[in-house]
Amino acid sequence: MRAPAKILMFAIIFQSAVVAPAMAQQYSAIDTNIQPLSNKICATCHGAYGKGNAVVGAPSLAGLESWYLRAQLIKFRDSMRGIQKDYIPGHEMRAAVAEMSEAEMDGVIASIGTWDSQPSATTVSGDAVRGAELYSNCAACHGVSAAGNQALGAPGLAGRDDWYLRRQLKLFQSGYRGEHPEDLAGAQMRAAAKLLESDQDINDVLVHINSLN
Amino acid sequence: MKKLVTRRELLGLIAVTGASGAVLNASSALDIVPNTRLDIPEIPFVNPSNRPSVVILGAGISGLTAAYELRKAGYDVVILEAAAKAGGRNLTVRSGDVIDEVGNPQVCEFDDEPHMYFNAGPARIPSTHRNLLHYCRELGVELEIFINENKEAYYQDDAMLGGKPIKNTEFTTNARGFMSEIMAKSFNNHELDQPFDEWEAEALLGAIRSFGDLSEGDLYKGSTRSGYAKGGYLDHGVQKDMVAFRELLKSRYMNNALNANEGETGPVLFQPVGGMDNIVKGFVRKLEDKIHYNVMVSSVQLTDDGVDVAYEHDGLKYKLQADYCLNSIPTHLMTGIDNNFPAEYTEAMNYVRRGEAYKSAFQTKERFWEKDDIYGGITWLNQPIQQIWYPSHGVFKKKGVILSAYDFGGGMHFTRLSQEQRLEAAIKQGEKVHPDYRGQVEKGITIAWHRMNHMLGCAARWQRNRSGMTHEEERLFHTLRQPAGGRHYTIGDQITVHSGWQESAILSAHWAIADMVSRRAGSSAMPGQRIS
Ligand SMILES: Cc1cc2nc3c(=O)[nH]c(=O)nc-3n(C[C@H](O)[C@H](O)[C@H](O)COP(=O)(O)OP(=O)(O)OC[C@H]3O[C@@H](n4cnc5c(N)ncnc54)[C@H](O)[C@@H]3O)c2cc1C
Ligand code: HEC
Ligand code: HEC
Repeated sequence: MRAPAKILMFAIIFQSAVVAPAMAQQYSAIDTNIQPLSNKICATCHGAYGKGNAVVGAPSLAGLESWYLRAQLIKFRDSMRGIQKDYIPGHEMRAAVAEMSEAEMDGVIASIGTWDSQPSATTVSGDAVRGAELYSNCAACHGVSAAGNQALGAPGLAGRDDWYLRRQLKLFQSGYRGEHPEDLAGAQMRAAAKLLESDQDINDVLVHINSLN
Repeated sequence: MKKLVTRRELLGLIAVTGASGAVLNASSALDIVPNTRLDIPEIPFVNPSNRPSVVILGAGISGLTAAYELRKAGYDVVILEAAAKAGGRNLTVRSGDVIDEVGNPQVCEFDDEPHMYFNAGPARIPSTHRNLLHYCRELGVELEIFINENKEAYYQDDAMLGGKPIKNTEFTTNARGFMSEIMAKSFNNHELDQPFDEWEAEALLGAIRSFGDLSEGDLYKGSTRSGYAKGGYLDHGVQKDMVAFRELLKSRYMNNALNANEGETGPVLFQPVGGMDNIVKGFVRKLEDKIHYNVMVSSVQLTDDGVDVAYEHDGLKYKLQADYCLNSIPTHLMTGIDNNFPAEYTEAMNYVRRGEAYKSAFQTKERFWEKDDIYGGITWLNQPIQQIWYPSHGVFKKKGVILSAYDFGGGMHFTRLSQEQRLEAAIKQGEKVHPDYRGQVEKGITIAWHRMNHMLGCAARWQRNRSGMTHEEERLFHTLRQPAGGRHYTIGDQITVHSGWQESAILSAHWAIADMVSRRAGSSAMPGQRIS
């Protein structure tokens, strides 16, 4: 038999016991006006420390470039992304940040910057040689090693969730992403996504991107 | 020659026409309504100087049940809960409470009175849910009757009667009348009564006649069962006009008006006096110092002799070791939490889909439904709101809280609307039954379970189609039900075949405890610690 539950930091236990009896604490309402949009709310969907959760459809955030994070948060907030009601993952992501202030955004981006990123498990299979050829169309913007290019607004792709990248390519192709007149970066990528003509093309290029990690 | 109708087929026919209660009772082998039995696990007391530790993830009904039972037997338990309060989906909303929906946080502004509450999750306790009722008794949770069916409530369908609502009693009386007329006619048609002897045939015909209140010659000519058009006390009553059967057939409610109150939502149902979360409060009173709130679990790691759990609280990270872990975190959220579960366990978690559910409610200026002879019960509408529930409690008080939409298993239509749009849609649709609805409602709240923080769903979906679990789904389900590494149990209604009921959440906890206890009995028969 082992020792009883060892709580390595006892602070929390005593704190809650001293500050407020549990019953009072149980029903103390959160003041939604002062409660900042914490990274907690991101974690509900994006997983602990932004590790990503495919079942919810929310990609890993850990390791995303802060400039790219900001660009996407602004697009979701300002109705350039995630406005279609029939695409639930995008729509619920938009809801999560619809009221986000600049200060909250700064805070969230800063804390995501502290999260450790692990390369994601790969899920697609395909033809790596074809994928490398197809990727030559992408390298100009995303870089030969898919590390991204801030000047062009193109994020790094290596080591990302391939299920998520695949879905985004389809969204670009079907006009769910990058169709808003003010979404210039999205429009560029939308044009590029059309170079991939089949599901096979998408899988092959993702296999190549996975190999770059 | 026409085929003879067998007894089985005839019973089936009767089931379709509404007397399915009788069929259900007669054929419990069909397992249509699960049979619960009181199933409190017997847990041997543990040695106080060597108490096994159990960390419980989530303070919903399953986690609370587990902690309560294990603590009684002397185990060292702790509950980690991500939200600011206990209960999980057992959520009652009152004045000042926060509804923690992603992107749409609301503060409830109902008047601060004991009867002005809304059960945003569970609201009904069937009398057959013995285990849940057992805890109500043990925890001193006072119950009252919940009214599900009310004959004075309405059915409304744009396809029927030009969209005019019809009282439940008129709908069902007329539907039964016409159906029994048809049954009586075909029954007299001789071929049908062949499987019966004379007495049986007579008894059945009598039942059919009385089922529909048939007149002479087995004709349905209307029935006073649906009330009188006028009179009936001081003067002779005038029977209401019949409603044309063809009109009723236009409505989808022909399919469920006669069986909406069978099975688990059949009488008798209960609700706790003052709100469903009184059950939660009952548990919390017994476990106060054992529950930690605003604690978000971030990692669950199986070790050789236990489970390590990491969590975050107030921006600080913590780690905790325990001998066992009972985990009620929804599987679709657990997939976003670090773990070293076996591959087949993860495969099963990845398979389950988020369930959907939507409810909304209004505080009303007056209890306008009481002027319409309605006290409790449900009005059904073939509109996205689907249902209006009148409170079973607070009769004759000035105000009340009325449920203004309920879609269990759906509701994404509302989920994607803004708060204003959701409330406006509820008013517009409710006006189809209560013309003065808009003037009566004030202070609305909505609960889109698909977007609730730390929940993101309702009843777990194990099946990709309605025809039952496939073999593959059965395999995944049973994989997740077994303890990972013999130390980590998934609990909650999510790991039962009957999700969406608190009884199931409780039984899942009982199952896990019983399994844990039996494994411990098997492994610790010898004094000391096993070393090889
Ligand atoms: C609209 C609706 C109507 C219903 N109607 C009825 C009814 O009439 N009668 C009935 O009996 N049942 C009903 N149910 C079902 C009932 O509510 C559930 O079966 C029961 O409450 C489930 O309890 P649980 O313990 O399995 O899970 P939950 O209550 O879902 O508990 C899970 C807990 O895990 C916590 N959690 C999540 N993530 C983390 C994390 N990272 N770290 C720590 N904790 C975490 C959550 O906050 C939550 O408290 C209804 C449900 C809904 C939604
Ligand atoms: C309700 C669940 C939910 C919440 C809460 C949520 N997200 Fe998301 N998020 C998603 C989903 C789903 C997607 C994928 C959308 C898509 O497929 O277009 C997404 C996408 C994103 C993206 C785009 C990533 C990319 O590579 O383009 C960013 C950035 C992001 N979320 C950041 C955040 C941050 C920061 C928070 C917390 C403030 C947050 N999210 C909260 C569900 C959520
Ligand atoms: C002309 C430059 C350009 C080219 C060429 C290009 N991209 Fe992009 N890509 C972008 C930009 C810019 C974005 C960011 C769009 C935004 O801000 O919404 C992007 C975004 C993406 C995303 C979404 C990433 C995320 O986190 O959501 C994927 C996936 C992607 N590109 C894949 C590719 C692939 C595969 C190719 C080659 C077939 C390619 N891109 C070619 C510019 C380009």
